[in-house]
This record gives sequence, structure tokens and C-alpha cells, in this order.
Amino acid sequence: MQLFVNIVVLASIYALIACGYVLIYRVSRVLNLAHGELMMLGAYAVLATASLFSGHPVMALVAAVVLSLVVGVLVYVFLMRKMTGEMVLAAILTTVALGILIRGIVVLVWSAQQQYPAQALGLPNPSLVLPGGGHISMWSAVLVGTNVFVYTALLGFLRFGRWGMRMRAAGQNPLLAAQRGINLHGVYALAWSLSTLTGALAGILMALDSGLTATMPVIGLKAFPAALVGGLDSLVGALVGALIVAAAEVLLIYYVDPLLSDVVPFLVLVAMLIVRPWGLFGTREELDRV
Amino acid sequence: MLKRILLGAISAAALALPALAQDAYVVGLTGALTGPPSSTYAPAVDALRIYIDGVNARGGVNGKKITLLLEDDGAQPSKAAANAKKLITQDKAVLLLNASLSSTYAPVIAESKAAGVPLLFASSVCPQSVYPPADPLQFCTTGFAANYDSQATLDFVKASAKGPVKIGFSAMAIPLSRGEIDYAEELSKKMGMTPVDKEVIPPPTADYTPFATKLKDAGPTWVYSWAPWVTQVRTLEALRKLGWQDDYIAWGHLETESELVRLKDGKFYTVNSNSLFQEGLPIQKEIEDAAKKAGSKYPAATMAEGWIAGMVIEAALKGAGWPADAAKLRTAMENLKVDTKGLRGGPIEWTKNNHFRTKLYYRVYKWDGSKIARVQDWKSYDVK
Repeated sequence: MQLFVNIVVLASIYALIACGYVLIYRVSRVLNLAHGELMMLGAYAVLATASLFSGHPVMALVAAVVLSLVVGVLVYVFLMRKMTGEMVLAAILTTVALGILIRGIVVLVWSAQQQYPAQALGLPNPSLVLPGGGHISMWSAVLVGTNVFVYTALLGFLRFGRWGMRMRAAGQNPLLAAQRGINLHGVYALAWSLSTLTGALAGILMALDSGLTATMPVIGLKAFPAALVGGLDSLVGALVGALIVAAAEVLLIYYVDPLLSDVVPFLVLVAMLIVRPWGLFGTREELDRV
Repeated sequence: MLKRILLGAISAAALALPALAQDAYVVGLTGALTGPPSSTYAPAVDALRIYIDGVNARGGVNGKKITLLLEDDGAQPSKAAANAKKLITQDKAVLLLNASLSSTYAPVIAESKAAGVPLLFASSVCPQSVYPPADPLQFCTTGFAANYDSQATLDFVKASAKGPVKIGFSAMAIPLSRGEIDYAEELSKKMGMTPVDKEVIPPPTADYTPFATKLKDAGPTWVYSWAPWVTQVRTLEALRKLGWQDDYIAWGHLETESELVRLKDGKFYTVNSNSLFQEGLPIQKEIEDAAKKAGSKYPAATMAEGWIAGMVIEAALKGAGWPADAAKLRTAMENLKVDTKGLRGGPIEWTKNNHFRTKLYYRVYKWDGSKIARVQDWKSYDVK
């Protein structure tokens, strides 16, 4: 039972991060290599809002989430918008530079010391006992629930929402979408804000569960194989990919060697690239574009 | 016009700097001041800076100021090498300091050896080369030490355990931590304990629960971790979330004091070579005041390592006299005894053969329900 719980929690972490990669790639074909850093920035934002809304943890959390949405829009407006029409590689390199900038800012502002947002907010993290004897911490349970909500909402939004349909259209054929009157910049800004939001949610909930350090972007990078395994342009794929990577990782830690956990996501990725390079649910034609 | 003025100013500054340096002791440090591992080193370096500023404010050493040059290597060996070269050849440092990850040691040692300049490891883990028989150029003030720490920890576990000990281990997947935990595992067998599991956890990890699950299922009565703080404490917290309620012991890093208060865990012990600030020693008050006055962003409780390094540097320069060169300084460092005023269990004493300590002292602390309590007072170990 505990192994099952561990898989579900780890898969939820990876899935919540991976959907940020997918959202941006699906709409703009840009691989956001600053996603881990944006996730970390969202988590550190809680520290800032905790002191701003001292004694009001819910308000502090809501403010941090709103802030991450705004950061996503600002990143697009002031940085990625300039890359529109440029080579995709240039846009990707821009995200690398953005990541370096965010890492530097975080260390300068908050130092590299371990931080505890839950403590700053005065929130507990009790251990919950599940039927069957498994244990899960409260914030891990919230993370799993958030993951379910985010994926349900995003899938519904993309399928039925007006702006969701525009996002899909812009992703499939931006020229045609623009000719039909779709505001491409609006769509891209929305994709960046939603991606930053989901990443920030993952970062905030992980930080509330077990603390926060400046090494968080590496976790963002570990979730990247989940997105690739599922197919970089598929949200369902990201969910399935996260589950596969997490299951492989947890089971190998338990039954083989804990050291394998570091390489497992990439081993799964290599295996997938050999067998089905476009991922489980990815679009085959995208491979040529990449 | 502006360009010319700027160029002129830069040239004048470049000419003036070596001139200034000639009238002061130049000490150069390469350290992980930024980057993920900087949480271990940056507070110590800040404490060292504050200490040296204090010495200079009091008139310096032998009537001369100390110029402390800080270079950030971000824990990257290539940057550390470039920093060491610059500090020795360009800035003419008489003493080189390392406050960074062990991966930076080799290039810094190479530069130190090539120039014959003494190298002091301050807040970075002491390499074996400072133990007897010591390398003539290498010295160390850092509190934690491979092998001795595990010996002291397992001695405490054995003395505290009421019955047979089944012990689990947790390390970070870096050479130093793995090597120490491997050593501890073998040592525990010799001491009659039963090692049941060893988790080597990669940094960073999204969730420590999968590792803790395996550790818990092995059924340890004690778990010992010697790793960077993040691994030690997150393993403990993951074990507690899983309902494991036995004893956990770990190395007392800079963060110990605030973390013991945060966790309030009566079965979490830390083994320390530095006194915690709750002891309220006069020197700790002095550090607190100096940190406050300097406006440091680090808590005073994280500054003992850097302060001790400062005390040792001051004593070494005093012994070397003026003008000091690398050879004179080395001779002074080979015959040095510094009273740590209670920050450690005893003095830092170096001889020609031992550039580490002649004796090591360990204290054990835990949370006793209302405050941090000392559960074992200084216990000494001879360094041979």
C-alpha cells in the first residue's frame, strides 16, 4: 500500500510540473527550459507573501498563486514575445538565460539556505493514515488533489473553453489561426501564465511539504522525461508519462538500488526514444518539426 | 571623454591595489558563495569577513591590516582553480582559503603547491591530508571530520541504547557522504550493532518518502545520517510521516540550532563539534553583536565555523610577524595553539605533523520538550 501511495505522490509531482512543459510546447513549439526555475520562483513567492499577509495563510497562498500567473504573463510580454518569428532554438536559449537569471535572483534575495514556507505561514503538515495502512502527509495529499483538479480543469478548458480552442488552433496552425482573427499574442501569454501557474503550484506544494532550497530547478528537470515519454504535445501523455516514470523510480528504489532513482527517468526516456520517439500520446508529425 | 576618464580611473585603481596590498596581510579565499551548496559555506565566509573587519578595526595584526579577498567559485572546480591562481599570482596572497565543495580541492591544492602558499580549509570538510602525517602546506579548522564523527556518533548510540541496536544509514549520493556512511556501516558491525539498511539518496530529490519507506521497512531502532543537512533532515521528516518513531542521529551542521527548535523532536539527536548558541557563552554574545552590527543576513548561530577560522588566521599572522611571506606563515601555522573560548571543546592545536587537531571534542544535543538540551557533554578523541 505504501509503495502505491509513494508512486501516486511522485507521479503527481512530475505530472504537475510536466503539464507546464506541455502547455507551452503545444501552443508555441518552444521548450521552456526555465520551467524549473519558474516553479522555484513560485515557491519562494510564498515566503514573500507570507510576510506581507502575516497571519493570513490562505491570502498569502492565493497571492503567491496570482503572482505566478502574473510572472508568466510578464515573461511572455517582456521576453518571449520578442522571440516570435525567430528560430525556435533562439527562443529555447532565451529560456535558458531566463533560468540562470532567476537562479541568481533567488540566491541574492533569499540566500541558498533551506527555507520552510509552511512554518512561515504557521501551517501544520500532519501525517494521514490511509485505509490499508499507508501514510501520506497532508500537503502531499493536497498535491495529489491539486493535480487531479488541474488536469481535469485544463482538459475541460482546452476541449470546451473558447480560449482553450484558440490555444489548440494556434498550436496546430498559427498562420491560419491568425488569419481567422485569433490574437496569437494573447494565446501565447495565456499559455505562459497557465504553465507558470501549474509549475508554481507544484513548487509551492512541495515546499509546504518538505521545505525549499535553491536546488528545486533540478526537480523540474527530472520531470521533463515524463513529458517526453507521454508525448510533448499531449496533456494525457504527460499524466501517463509521469505515472510510468514515478512507478519505475519508486519500485527500483525499493527493490533494486536507491541510487538508480537519479537515472531512472532518463533510462525510461531513452527506452521510449528508441521505441517510439514521439512519445506515447504525442503527434508523430511533431518529430520532424523538432 | 567619459571613456577616457573611466579608463584612467580603472588604471589608477589597478596600480593602487597592489600598492595597498603590500602594506597589509593579503588573505585570499575561494568559496561557494553562490549556488546550491552555498548554504553551508556562505554564512561561515560572512562570519570570517566580519571577524577580520573587527581585527582591522582594532588596529590589525602586528600593526598591519588584513586584506581579505573573497572570490566566488560557485562550487565549480574550474572557477576555484582560476580563483586560486588569481589570488596567488595577481593578489600575492600569503594564505589561501578554501570554503567550498570537496570537488574544488584538487585544483586549489595544485595551485597552492605550485606557489608554496599555505592552504587553509575553513568550513569545508577537512581532507585526510591534514591528518597526521600532514601535508606541509595544508591545514584545516572545520568542525566536522571523516571517521572521527562516525566513531563519536556510534559510541553515543551504543552508550544510549538499552538493548541490541539495529541501525539504518542515510547518505547523500556524493563521495564524501557515501564514504563516511560506508565507514560507519563497517564500524557498527565491529561495535556489535546490526546494520539493516543504507539509503544513498541523490541530491536533490522530489520526495524522500520512497527512500524512507525502504529504511523503515528494514526495522531499524536507530538511524544515522552524515550528509548535508537537507538529506539528514528530510530523511528524518519522511520517516516520521511514515510513522517511524525510533531514534535518529545526525551531524550537527550550521542549521542545527534553528532546526531542533523547528522540529521539536525528542528522539532526534545531533552530534556537534561546535557549542550551540543556547549555551550563552560570552564569545557567542560577541558574535551575535558583531553579526547584528554588520547587518549580516545570516543568523549568528550559523557563524561559529567562520569565527573560529578568523581566530586561527589572526593567530597565525601574528606568529608570522611582519613582513610575512608564505614560508614564515607556514612555520607559524605548524606551531599554533588557539583558545576557541568555548566554541569548541578545546583549543585548535597544530604541530608539524598534525594540521588538523590533536584532540577532537563532541557534544550531543536534542530537543527535550521545551528547549534544546545537552544530552552528552564534551567527549574527547585523540587524533593519531
